[in-house]
Amino acid sequence: MTYRILIIDDEDDIREVAALSLETVANWQVFTANSGSQGLARAIEHQPDAILLDVMMPGMDGPTTFRELRKNPVTAHIPVLLLTAKVQSSDQRRFADLGVEAILFKPFDPLTLSDQIASVLGWS
Amino acid sequence: MATDAQAALSAALDRLWTQFLPQMQERVEILETAAQAFAAGPLPIERQQEAQAAAHKLAGVLGTFGLTRGTELARELEIVYSRQIEPGSDLAERLASASAELRTIVATRK
Repeated sequence: MTYRILIIDDEDDIREVAALSLETVANWQVFTANSGSQGLARAIEHQPDAILLDVMMPGMDGPTTFRELRKNPVTAHIPVLLLTAKVQSSDQRRFADLGVEAILFKPFDPLTLSDQIASVLGWS
Repeated sequence: MATDAQAALSAALDRLWTQFLPQMQERVEILETAAQAFAAGPLPIERQQEAQAAAHKLAGVLGTFGLTRGTELARELEIVYSRQIEPGSDLAERLASASAELRTIVATRK
């Protein structure tokens, strides 16, 4: 099955590598956004099967974007996975408390990123 | 995963590495100049925050290209620059050596 993923990350190198990985390895359809506000608009427009959301972004950061996604009935049901380079346990607890599906860590392995996402979301 | 997909991914990653190399070199340069400035005296807070952000971004991306040592070094620098730091010869030397090693890693992709 071809899943549809939205990647929201202000860092263009990470965004491009993640998109390339999911398209090439898993043959998923990928949409991208470079900010929280653009991500909200893309989520409404494309209704992806899941969202990969960066934590640290200027302006609307990941947690704020997540809360906005949950507030909107059009996007509230979409599973969200946070993507972060923060490895301190206090940060991880704070992110887990938000209610996201999972927290994935940078750096990720482009070969296995789609497997990680599929495993968390129960996609076969 | 099929070998074809692996090869395609590898080739595409090579292309992205070339595309984003100037950006990564720029981040290393920020770290090098911050280390040099710190050796001469206290860093202005804006400069320290800029170095922290550069290190954070490098930590996130280098390992994605298989450069795990690069991520370790960048993470070390991110933690240092996230704290209140006072000039001292040991720390100044460490910042300089870690930045120099990062430059080599980015230059050689090894």
